Amino acid sequence: MSAFALTSGRFVREQLRAPLTLVLLIAIPVFFVLIFADVLGEFSKALGGTLATQSATAISAGWSAAFLSGTLAFFMVSSSRAADRRLALAGLGPAKVALSRIAAALALGVTVTAVAFLTLWLRSGIGHPLHALVAIFAFAAIYIGIGAVVGALVSDPLAGSLLVLAVFSIDAFSGPQMTSAASGVGTYLPTYHAANLLIAAGGGQGSPAADWRGVAAVALGALTVALAAFWLAARARSPR
Amino acid sequence: MSPAARTATLMAFRDQRRRPLVLVLLVLVPAYVILWSVAETKPTPRAIELDGDVWVRTTMKALHGPGMAGLMVAFLAALLGVFVMRSALAGDRRLVVAGFPARDAVLSRLLVLIGLTLVAVVVSALMLGLVLTPASWPAVIAALVLTGLIYAAIGALVGVLLDKLAATYLILFLIMTDLGVVQSPMFHARPVAFAWLLPGFPLDRLLYDGAFSHTFNAMGKLLLALGWLTALAVVVYLVLRRALGTRS
Repeated sequence: MSAFALTSGRFVREQLRAPLTLVLLIAIPVFFVLIFADVLGEFSKALGGTLATQSATAISAGWSAAFLSGTLAFFMVSSSRAADRRLALAGLGPAKVALSRIAAALALGVTVTAVAFLTLWLRSGIGHPLHALVAIFAFAAIYIGIGAVVGALVSDPLAGSLLVLAVFSIDAFSGPQMTSAASGVGTYLPTYHAANLLIAAGGGQGSPAADWRGVAAVALGALTVALAAFWLAARARSPR
Repeated sequence: MSPAARTATLMAFRDQRRRPLVLVLLVLVPAYVILWSVAETKPTPRAIELDGDVWVRTTMKALHGPGMAGLMVAFLAALLGVFVMRSALAGDRRLVVAGFPARDAVLSRLLVLIGLTLVAVVVSALMLGLVLTPASWPAVIAALVLTGLIYAAIGALVGVLLDKLAATYLILFLIMTDLGVVQSPMFHARPVAFAWLLPGFPLDRLLYDGAFSHTFNAMGKLLLALGWLTALAVVVYLVLRRALGTRS
C-alpha cells in the first residue's frame, strides 16, 4: 500500500475514532432528509421562496452534506496542525500530507453524500438522480473548502465552529431555496449554483449549462483552496 | 466566593477576552439570522395553540422572530458549553493536580459559560425587539435565559463526554430536532405527541406564551424548565468534578 493511501486511511480512522461520529455522519443526513424535509416546503413558502415539496426535500440533503463536511474539514485542519507538521518533517512532506488530508475529507464527504442521496432517493424519488448526486457532492466539496479555510485562519475551536455556523447560516438563509431575493447578492453565495442544480433535479428538471459551469468552478475552486489550507497547516515554520 | 474562585473566574474571563472573534460572532450570527429570516418571511396567517387552551391568530412572520431567537440562543449556548468545558478540561486538570480546589475551577468555568450565554441571550432579545413587540417581555426573557442555560449545560455535558466533532454534530442534531422541528409552531399548530420528552418543550411553550399572550398561562412550563435546568446543572457539576479527577 502506498504511503499516500495508508496516511489517508489513517486520517479517516482518526476522525472516526469515536464510533458516535460515524453514527452521526449517517444519522444526520437521514434525519435531515426524512424529517426536516417534511416541513421545509412549507417553511420555504413562508419565507417567500417558491420551492415545491420535492425540491425542498432535495435541498435538505445538500444542507446536511454541507454542514457535516464543513465542520469536519474545520476540525481536521485546526486540530491536526501540530501532528501534520511532524508528519511532514518526518519525511512525508507537506504536499503529501495535504493530499492525504483532502483525500480523507473527500472520502468522508462522499460517505455523507451517499447517505443523503440514498435517503432522498428512497423517500421521494428523484427525477434526475445523477444531477442530484453531483449537486449534493458539490455541497460537500464546497464546504470542505470553507471549513479548511476557516481552520487555517482560526485555531480556536469555538470561534472556528461559530464561523462555520455563520457562513452556513448566511448561505442557507439567503440562497435560492429560501428567498425570493436570491437574484441579487444571493447569486454570489458559494452554494447558489449547487442549490439551483439540486432544486431542478429534485423537481425532475434539467439545469442550464451556466449552473453546471458554476458548480464545477466553485467546487473545484473550493477543493483547491482546501488543499492550499491543508498544505499551509502542514508546512514547517522557520525558527524565529 | 473564595479568593481562589474569584481569581480563577477573572483569569477565565481574561482568557475569553483574548478571543475577540468569539464575541464578534456571538453578536453577528444571531443578529444576521434573526433579522434576515424575519425580513424574508411572508405574513401568512397562522393560528397556534398556547398553554391554557388559548388559540391566537398571528402570522408566520411574527412567529419566526421568537423561533429564530430561541434557536440561535440554543445553538450558541450549546457550542459555548462544548468548547468552554473542553478547554477547561485541558487546562484545569493541571491546576487541580497542583492543588487548586476542583470546586473553584469548575465554578469559574461555569460562570464564564453563563456570562457568554447571557451575551447571546441579550443580542437575540435585542434583535427580537426590533422585529416584534412581545406581549410579555419578562416571560420572553425568562424563556431565552432558560434556553441558553439549559442548552449550555447540555453542550457542557456533551463536550466533556464526547470528542469535539461528535459533540458538535450531536448538538446540531438535537437542537434541529427539538427547537427546529418538533417544538416549532410554524410547523405544528399545537405540540405533537412526545414533544414533552425533549428539553425544548417547556422553553418554547414559555417563549410563545410570552410573545403572544397577554395573560401568563405557562407557569407549569416555567417550573418544568427550572426542573430541567436544576437537574442538568447538578449533573454538569458532578461530571466536571469527576472529569477533573479529584475530590477536594
